[in-house]
Amino acid sequence: MVQPANLIHLKSRRMSTVQSDNDNSILARIAAGENGSFELLIEKYGNLVWSIGKKFLYRQSDVEDAVQEVFIAIWKSANKFDPQKAKEITFVSMIARRRFIDHLRKVSKHKNLESIDDKKSGHQLYKESMLNESTDLQLIKQAIESLDIDDQELLNLSIYQGYSHSEIAKLLNLPLGTVKTKIRRNLIKLKGIFKNNEIATIVNLNNV
Amino acid sequence: MSRVEKKEERLMDLLALEAVQKLSIEEQQELKMLLDLFPEYTQDHFHEMTALAQVSFYTQDNYNNESIPRQMRKRILHAYKAELGRTTFMDHVNHYMRVFFYKPQYAWTLTVLMTIGLSFSMIEFKDYENNFKYLPLKRAVLEMTANDIIQFPWYSRSIDLEGISGNIIWSDEGQKGFIKLTGMPMNDPTQNQYQVWIVDPLNHEQPVDGGVFDVTQTDQSVIIPINPKLPISRAVGFAITLEQPGGVVVSSQPILLTAPKERPQITI
Repeated sequence: MVQPANLIHLKSRRMSTVQSDNDNSILARIAAGENGSFELLIEKYGNLVWSIGKKFLYRQSDVEDAVQEVFIAIWKSANKFDPQKAKEITFVSMIARRRFIDHLRKVSKHKNLESIDDKKSGHQLYKESMLNESTDLQLIKQAIESLDIDDQELLNLSIYQGYSHSEIAKLLNLPLGTVKTKIRRNLIKLKGIFKNNEIATIVNLNNV
Repeated sequence: MSRVEKKEERLMDLLALEAVQKLSIEEQQELKMLLDLFPEYTQDHFHEMTALAQVSFYTQDNYNNESIPRQMRKRILHAYKAELGRTTFMDHVNHYMRVFFYKPQYAWTLTVLMTIGLSFSMIEFKDYENNFKYLPLKRAVLEMTANDIIQFPWYSRSIDLEGISGNIIWSDEGQKGFIKLTGMPMNDPTQNQYQVWIVDPLNHEQPVDGGVFDVTQTDQSVIIPINPKLPISRAVGFAITLEQPGGVVVSSQPILLTAPKERPQITI
């Protein structure tokens, strides 16, 4: 069991790292009005936001509208970014996610088509660097992998592919109530595992 | 399970639902009420985790390897520059407004002018949503500004009304719409009034009252505003009946016009 005093020390140590991260973060540079910072934002997160948009929305024009809105919204909110509350990638994907969910409601239902596999090896590197850069992302990956395969699939359909509960119920031939309960329980479970892993990582950092 | 535990479980249900899809207006209201009861929770309870999980799923998806198109990058940059220009303009306006208000004589003059303007507006736009002034302009504004406009032509459900033409436009986000009708028979407001109904099967079993109106001319098109008496989540159809003056809550009169032709089924 981690003692609170220890945790405070560990968190302050982590925060000092976070502070230096923030000085280099694209969002901090955007908030400071630095030239070329918005272009950097598109460069770094363009593929991610675009790919997620393609998963959520069917029509190309809807994806384009939504992705444009996402980047403008990130730019407008950059001064609200606080690295002590969330990492940059979390901040970016949270904004993207809310916008795509809003769009999903406005437009006709999404249809999940497999995207064009244009440069697989390049993308693999892009994804790996994303994963290596963010401890939180590694922790959530571990947390997801600790769930049953069926539950992972359920969360994939709901969180990643943007299917509604009723659509998932039809797809998996499950009662709607079961889908709702399973998603709720798995989100609670995932949050618990993620937080525990986060504490364990901080402890490990202190022991290094 | 105690009542408190049941409420907390319902709160978790809604928080989980809100993290993955958009809530209906009723669910949003229920969530707000439950969050007031359990202040230790916030609406974004699952947001960070679902956002991270989404990126994690993306990094593991070997079939999703599409780059953002070059044209799209250009489009975003173009939008950013336009927005940047607009913001800079507004910054200048704010700056000059601040300078202006440091001079009391200017500030007092502006305050007096604004008070006169406000009084005029209050007289002119009294009961704004319900009055029938400037309707073509209001309709055009809604058409230009709303992103979710739906439009249907009217279909007659009665042989007597077959010559009638027109359409309806509606915005769920704006919670308003307008009817356009040509050739509708005049009514006697002391005897009866036309009533509009909005079909929103996701949220209301019965059509929702969209307000009453009178037709005072038949030779020209008339434009009527729709004023729903309950929040509309997703309007899918509309109807017009002839009712007693002031309208009714549930109609038993024959439907005169519908838009679209057939009553739509529930679609999510």
